[in-house]
Amino acid sequence: MNTGILLDLRVIWDGLVRFFGLDALILVIGLLVVLIWVQVNALFLVWLERKVAGHIQLRIGPKEVGPFGILQTIVDGIKLVAKELITPQPVSWLLFVLSPILVFTPVLVAFVVLPFGPHLVIRDINVGLMLIFAFAGINVLSILMGGWASNNKYALLGAIRSVAQNVAYEIPLLLSAMSVVLMSGTLSMQGIVQAQEGVWFIFYQPVAGLLYLIGATAETNRAPFDIPEAESELVAGFHTEYSGMRFGLFFLAEYTNMFIVAAVATTLFFGGWRGPFLPGPWWFLIKVYILIFVVMWVRWTLPRLRFDQLMNFAWKYMIPIALLNLLATALVIKLVR
Amino acid sequence: MLRKTLTEDSFYLNLGPQHPSTHGVLHLLLKLDGERILECKPLVGYSHRAHEHMGQNRTYLQFLPNTSRMDYLGGLCYNHAYCLAVEKACGIQAPERARYIRTICAELNRISSHLLWFGAYLMDLGAFTPFLYAFDDREDILAILGEITGSRLTYSYCRFGGVSRDLNQNFRDGVKAFIPKLRKRLKDYRTLVTKNVIFLNRTKGIGVVSPEQARDWALTGPNLRACGVAYDIRRAEPYSVYPEMEFEIPTATGGDCYDRYWVRMAEMEQSLRIVEQALGRLPDGPVKTAGVPQWLEPPAGDYHFSYESPRGHLGIYFVSDGGRVPLRMKWRTPSFNNLSILSEILPGTLVADTIAILGSIDVVIPEIDR
Amino acid sequence: MSFLEDIRPVLAQRFGSENLSDQERARCGYDLRLALDQERLLELAGLLKEAVCYLEYITAVDQGQVLDLLYFFGRHDQPPFRLQVRVAMPKGVAVPSLANLIRAADWQEREVYDMFGQRFAGHPDLRRILLPDDADFHPLLRDFKPGPQHGGEVVNLERK
Repeated sequence: MNTGILLDLRVIWDGLVRFFGLDALILVIGLLVVLIWVQVNALFLVWLERKVAGHIQLRIGPKEVGPFGILQTIVDGIKLVAKELITPQPVSWLLFVLSPILVFTPVLVAFVVLPFGPHLVIRDINVGLMLIFAFAGINVLSILMGGWASNNKYALLGAIRSVAQNVAYEIPLLLSAMSVVLMSGTLSMQGIVQAQEGVWFIFYQPVAGLLYLIGATAETNRAPFDIPEAESELVAGFHTEYSGMRFGLFFLAEYTNMFIVAAVATTLFFGGWRGPFLPGPWWFLIKVYILIFVVMWVRWTLPRLRFDQLMNFAWKYMIPIALLNLLATALVIKLVR
Repeated sequence: MLRKTLTEDSFYLNLGPQHPSTHGVLHLLLKLDGERILECKPLVGYSHRAHEHMGQNRTYLQFLPNTSRMDYLGGLCYNHAYCLAVEKACGIQAPERARYIRTICAELNRISSHLLWFGAYLMDLGAFTPFLYAFDDREDILAILGEITGSRLTYSYCRFGGVSRDLNQNFRDGVKAFIPKLRKRLKDYRTLVTKNVIFLNRTKGIGVVSPEQARDWALTGPNLRACGVAYDIRRAEPYSVYPEMEFEIPTATGGDCYDRYWVRMAEMEQSLRIVEQALGRLPDGPVKTAGVPQWLEPPAGDYHFSYESPRGHLGIYFVSDGGRVPLRMKWRTPSFNNLSILSEILPGTLVADTIAILGSIDVVIPEIDR
Repeated sequence: MSFLEDIRPVLAQRFGSENLSDQERARCGYDLRLALDQERLLELAGLLKEAVCYLEYITAVDQGQVLDLLYFFGRHDQPPFRLQVRVAMPKGVAVPSLANLIRAADWQEREVYDMFGQRFAGHPDLRRILLPDDADFHPLLRDFKPGPQHGGEVVNLERK
């Protein structure tokens, strides 16, 4: 009887493949899996962050709901879903509603090209890295939209800060990624991992790696670069007026973004899914979570930079260093070949 | 040169009364050009509870519990100050042991106040973790004080002519364990915070107050000492057992946020020294003078008393007509003056600096509003 | 030589020794009391500012017909020095403001205005400070009787 069902499924699958084409079908299924994965992962990350923060702060973090409090974030998520969506009267309605949706969409797209394992990638396209960065740029647009549409001065200040910060930090981010691209000679994420056969790029490109991590922390608005939502200054920054699941989407996007930048860092500098004994996806996840842990560790240790100091840091130090690093890389590659 | 071609209006931002880092219900009306502050008007009075009026309608003893409600972080210090002021007016002398116990408690209270400030200030600057470290230490003090005072925040422990209850062994053990613990912690704070580059960038050279400005605005306490004026009422007009204590007055010279921070951190160490000495020299004897009447009637006249609260010069002024209820009761609270300087030092800084400066001044809003 | 010994003859000479009285610091907490006419208040404040004194606080005591304004000046010095300046003002007459000379007076005067209704001439921004802007009473005046219109229930203790 079991085989009967399987047979039926096989028939349906064949039909679907014939109708849509294999590629499109894998894409759709992959996106569905990603959608679920993003939620679960974000919930896990929130739980992890609270646990890490707790232990750093001489507390134990959540412990009541489920073993080690692991269900806490699910309960919180249910609470967020159940909350009323408050739309303040003077907001610009369309932009206000669109913003949390728009902040979440590009996050999903990035997962299409992330190589979780040698074969576990939804679609390995030859400009994968560019795709991720291009879609990451949309993030800031939606923050600006949300901050502007909120008709709230704190939100507006947060949005302005966010735009300036993201513009400034995307440059060193891209430049440091470019030096890796120069070395591997490809923009495909799988290609970059293939190129790290033997030695990880972090050993060839320590400067770029460091710049990438700093830039990525700023890009995801994490402390010490959490200027756009600096809660002691701007209450909650750009999402001051958001409540319920609209806020929840911003929240999900933040944690998922964290995962993405850590995943890109893993791919670019830490050999992606490469590693002994364990299968690829495991190594990939282990590396990503270690990087995320480092980012959390930094967040709960350091105070926040001031806005102008942040900009100075980007424009006066990071961008020149990244440029020099790129030029040096290009030169060395030219000489070696 | 780039010229401003657009005519742009500045805008007003209401920082508070509900805001995460105004520590209560302070309302700053800021006029901003982008993020730069053009003008700042602090608006206070949201938690005015008419303490002075109550003081004029209650007997001296009935007003005692009010004192710790004014400054809820330095409640025991306010208690202590009020008792000393009234005792002085009535010519009551507290027994030696009680005076030592009061000093120990007041200094512990000062440490707990500074610890809370330390945590809250770092949180204002975006570092959340030191806040919980500080609270962990503060919790120890609250437990120790709770042991003998029976309360954790709003104390009424000091009484006219002594204290309500003698020390017990738990208190001694608690303090003896606490002193080395906090010393170790203060070292940790130095490595975690004081040497942190981001912290230094956020506080050095920010919110500079010159000694002249400090005098003009009547700043007192750590804010004044950070400007290089070594003025501490515990030394200048010693009360209780402070003349017998060995301690230094930490001063800095820059008058910026970092110096205010540094002075408070150094003060905690000095307070620990005082507690240590006082506990070591604690004499035996009663803790309360016998025969203090319930209804005190200070001789007619006016009385002023100065006290060094954790935030600065606390002045108590009351006028007695010889009756049970004072004619006039005035509290000069240090935060009132300390806060008013904001309108001078804030213009020209950024919003982020506002928080850094406001936090570094260490205001307790109910104390301002009274 | 202490500052008190320095300033005492100066004050006695300029403002009249009959107005100056020594006080017992151990009893009442200040060294000197100076009864002053309101016209000479700015002169005195200027003198004390020159002498690096600071304004500790300003308060008032309602004496029925007149309001005693009290200015306390201190000094960051050892031995300590504290001067009480007493300006008796008929109610409803404005007193010169020190706020333009000593910045600390700004809020202190606003508080006195708020609580006693005393006006200060030349104050840059004489608004209420602790009470709401629309309050129509001055609560620390002797004839103020708290009532339900001021919010809450009021229990007054009998004055003996």
